[in-house]
Amino acid sequence: MPLTETPAVEARDLRRTFRTRQGALRPTRRTVEAVRGVSFEIAPGELFGLLGPNGAGKTTTIKMLITLLIPTSGSASVLGRDVVGDVREVRRRIGYVFGGDRGLYERLSGLDNLRYFSELYGVPPREQKERIGSLLELVGLTGREGERVEGYSRGMRQRLHIARGLLHDPDVFFLDEPSIGIDPVGARELRATIAGLREQGKTVLLTTHYMFEADELCDRIAVIRSGEIVAEGTPTQLKQLVSAGRVLEVETYGVSDDAVEVARGTGGVRSVVVEDRGQLQVLVVSCEPGAEVTQHVLAGLDGTRVGRVSHRDPTLEDAYVELVTR
Amino acid sequence: MTSARIFFIGGLMSYRALFGWMNPWIFVPSLLVSPVCQILLFAYIGRSAGVGDDEFYVIGNALNYAAIPCMFAMTFTIGGERFAQTLGLVLATPARRIPLFLGRSMPVIANGWFVAMFGVVVGSMLLDTDIPGSAWPLIALVVAVGSLASTGLGLVMGAINLVYRDGATLGNVLFLVLLIFTGTNVALDDLPGWMAAVGRWLPLTHAIEASRMLADGAAWGAVSGLVGTELLIGVGYLAVGLSAIRVFEWLSRTGATLDRI
Repeated sequence: MPLTETPAVEARDLRRTFRTRQGALRPTRRTVEAVRGVSFEIAPGELFGLLGPNGAGKTTTIKMLITLLIPTSGSASVLGRDVVGDVREVRRRIGYVFGGDRGLYERLSGLDNLRYFSELYGVPPREQKERIGSLLELVGLTGREGERVEGYSRGMRQRLHIARGLLHDPDVFFLDEPSIGIDPVGARELRATIAGLREQGKTVLLTTHYMFEADELCDRIAVIRSGEIVAEGTPTQLKQLVSAGRVLEVETYGVSDDAVEVARGTGGVRSVVVEDRGQLQVLVVSCEPGAEVTQHVLAGLDGTRVGRVSHRDPTLEDAYVELVTR
Repeated sequence: MTSARIFFIGGLMSYRALFGWMNPWIFVPSLLVSPVCQILLFAYIGRSAGVGDDEFYVIGNALNYAAIPCMFAMTFTIGGERFAQTLGLVLATPARRIPLFLGRSMPVIANGWFVAMFGVVVGSMLLDTDIPGSAWPLIALVVAVGSLASTGLGLVMGAINLVYRDGATLGNVLFLVLLIFTGTNVALDDLPGWMAAVGRWLPLTHAIEASRMLADGAAWGAVSGLVGTELLIGVGYLAVGLSAIRVFEWLSRTGATLDRI
């Protein structure tokens, strides 16, 4: 989507290569291209999603944007400031939150965690109390702020992370898989908090594995695969990539690799994914419009116990799966 | 104002954050009982071998033990944050690095001073050494300078943690180096020339020598040069540590070393 105003975040042909060495006497060196020429723009006030499987380069991209990693080549800017050359100014104006249990001072209370980072971000002492109070209210931790973080649930920790990231009222907020490992209720509350950030006019870059989360929250989405952006657009536009077609779902018990390959080789099939659901393996077959593949796929499952067979319309998740498995 | 608050308030809060696990059950045996045991060990070895006197071993070993909290705690202020994955978040803030890391050294120096002074006081009482009452205030001052110098070395080790995740293990080696090279149990004059020369560039060497002279009744004028040298060495190590943090922070951004915990 072309942007008419100065972008809040801009990445231009961003690349990052990691070189690792293992072994002392006969070292083996390995070069990994984590990000391979990523370019995108995020408009001020936009909630932009970066989706991709593990190891696709999402976190590396974010780390370059928040100044923790220097790009191997290419450039990036936040609010017009270069992330390599103007580090302090970029850090002043961004907030960063990553998912998971770590990244908090376990032996301090939630309040003291926030007070410490207030000092590091230079929040004036007179404003600290009020700012922290309102953020605790925002993330629903009022009344629990005096407890040590080591006793917090994962959801509480994640909400404390968000409060920490907002202490200095940043203009741009980077959220790296914030809902990972949170229970459904906590995740719903978190999504409400993130939606609230957009309403406040914050620019947000969100990475997530959860399609419904991206679908619900994001204005635009970029799908990243093996360090490259393979699609970009609104959730609706991405769904349209596969909407002209159908999805066949076949429940199986113990599907073989050969049967999956037969399904993949069927004319009119775009992609095949096997999803484990308890004892079941569900063959998710994305088909071209008008393609009649059911009989052929079922024939390939000869000898395999088959359960329910159904058809449905494609979802954003189907679009995502097709994009990252092409 | 912001830098002053980061130095004082931030330094104290980070110490609470990183050393909240240091309860009396850990502090007393590891930082109060252990140095006294070390003092007694070397004092009785000295007695049985008929070399040195108790005061020599009390002061040497008590000050030497300040290196444990000073070096390891200062290393942990970076290494521990790295392990808890808070270091990246701290480094992503715009906080100036000099007050940020120097502020963390203040509680560490105070801890080292307390441990060393406890060793001197308790060691003196147990071995019945005769340190004149008038010498105690100056000994306390010299111990503080020695703790600062040890903390400087700890800051260098902490900086190494930015690029080398097992940097804290260096502390075990360095503690033994200090034990041998600083004249803790063998006077510098009795060490081979090269070892004495190395010792002159290490923290604690001059503080130990000055404290022994004060305990023997020397005036401030006689030890001020030694104390000044110790202070210079300490400031030197702090400067090297801060410069190393700057360089290694850059290297961590180019080499992604912080991602390895």
